[in-house]
Amino acid sequence: MFQQRVGWRWPSLSLQTRLCWAGFLFVLPALLHLIVFKFYPMVEAFRLSFYKYDLMTPPVFHGVENYKTVWNNPLFHQSFWVSVKYMFGVSVPEWFLAFALALLLNRGMPGRPVIRLAYFFPIAMSQIVVALVWKFMYNPLGVVNTLLGAVGIGRINWLATEQSALPALILIGIWRGIPLFGVIYLAGLQSIPKEYHEAATVDGAGPWQSLRHVTIPLLTPTILFVMVMSLLSAMKVFLNPLVMTEGGPNGTTRVLPYFIYETAFAYHRMGEAAAASMVLFAFAFALTLIQLRLLRRGGVE
Amino acid sequence: MSSRALSLWGGRLLTILTIAGIGVTLLPYFWMLSSSLKTSSEVFELPVRWLPREPQWSNYPAALSRGAFGVYFFNSAVVALAVMAGNLLVCSLAGYGLAKFRFPYRELSFRAILSTLMLPLEIVLVPTFLVVRGLGLVNSYGGLIIPLAVDAFGIFLMRQYIKDLPDSLIEAARLDGCSERGIFWRIILPNCKPALGALALLTFRDNWDQFLWPLIVASKDTLKTFPLGLAQMEGIDSAAYHEIMAIAVIAMIPTAIIFLFFQRAFVRGIALSGLKE
Repeated sequence: MFQQRVGWRWPSLSLQTRLCWAGFLFVLPALLHLIVFKFYPMVEAFRLSFYKYDLMTPPVFHGVENYKTVWNNPLFHQSFWVSVKYMFGVSVPEWFLAFALALLLNRGMPGRPVIRLAYFFPIAMSQIVVALVWKFMYNPLGVVNTLLGAVGIGRINWLATEQSALPALILIGIWRGIPLFGVIYLAGLQSIPKEYHEAATVDGAGPWQSLRHVTIPLLTPTILFVMVMSLLSAMKVFLNPLVMTEGGPNGTTRVLPYFIYETAFAYHRMGEAAAASMVLFAFAFALTLIQLRLLRRGGVE
Repeated sequence: MSSRALSLWGGRLLTILTIAGIGVTLLPYFWMLSSSLKTSSEVFELPVRWLPREPQWSNYPAALSRGAFGVYFFNSAVVALAVMAGNLLVCSLAGYGLAKFRFPYRELSFRAILSTLMLPLEIVLVPTFLVVRGLGLVNSYGGLIIPLAVDAFGIFLMRQYIKDLPDSLIEAARLDGCSERGIFWRIILPNCKPALGALALLTFRDNWDQFLWPLIVASKDTLKTFPLGLAQMEGIDSAAYHEIMAIAVIAMIPTAIIFLFFQRAFVRGIALSGLKE
């Protein structure tokens, strides 16, 4: 570009510099905000995880004591596994069901816009509304038991029974997540040019072969995105256990964020909470790294 | 049966399945609406009563008088709208800067921004609280709003969308002597309506019912958001489900309106921003 307009070298350079600054200034507010409210707190959390701190008295350096305490706390191990079970229990069915939903909604059928609207409407619903409705439905006298009673299954106190409380929350998570991930898949499906499928059909591919050899390979980035997003959002679940079960019965629904919240703001053990946060962060970090790896590999193909 | 007829019936079966799925998806909301209009004895009546004998509209004022719900809803609206405005502005600025300008460390900035997706509030809860306390913002609207006002997902969404806008649009305006600020307001923003719609819907939904953050940062009753009020009410009297459902229905209205208003933009915004990269 410079060589082409030698005579205009100075004005063009100054425009270049001006644009450089303009671009930087456009990004600056976001960067400043993230430094104050994400990066600094992250560094602070790391530092705090080596201190004993109760919000009232000044922090005292504590070495790796917090990590030891957390590691030796059976409740932490329980919480960790509850979180893992919840994450995979919610995400894995979501991956398949949301994909199936997107395929169904991508077909030509009468009333398609209305049908799509009906499926996407729940995306707009807030979490607390979802939590309260389901708590009501899971009530021992509630509609879930009534409907199951009709097919001869006895009354279960879903949220107060150790075996059923976590599965009950997982079911809500799946039901809640499908529409959003369905939209994302549908957007992906619509971005595949029709000619590809037509070409596959001309070559004699049936619907299954077309799905396996055309749709899925082209959708790989979307699929990976949905996989990681669903895991990360399941990792953050907090409101449902708090409102519906208070982490019970017997800690069977006390997910890791709930454990951190309790340690910090109910017991005022900030250092230990920070140490537990570091474990949660390591978890999120590993997941994201795996996604980047897979994406890069997917992108090469 | 010929294979043609088979695929016709298969197609019809799939359509029926699709429509049946709507029932599963929407049934809880229907149940909430219907229960909010029942008497307390109808709520758990057997066999299932799908519709109230006579709609009890008085449940709504009765439920609202169970707490300072006027104040709680007002606070939620303030938080949701302010956080939404913050995200729309800051994320589109940053998205534009990252998509259409070259400056040193641009890629690094973008990666740093994206990396904060791994740092949800749940992970940095304690130190974020300490930052807000240090700034003297505990128990204030500022404390409720400012930490949430920018989210990396919004920046990612806007960048992806703006990247696909033609450069010629911007260059033409620049040649016409339009200032950089003018280009942003008059060229970029009007051309990103679908992405802005999607972002508006998602941030409003996620912040209208903020729970964890207000729980920690707002202990004053006058600053509570409605989910805190609801949780409180639920703790007091868990038998009053018809009234709790009435509040839930009211809580649903703003997000439902925003959805119906933005749904086109929303689906298109997600589709066009592509989620590639």
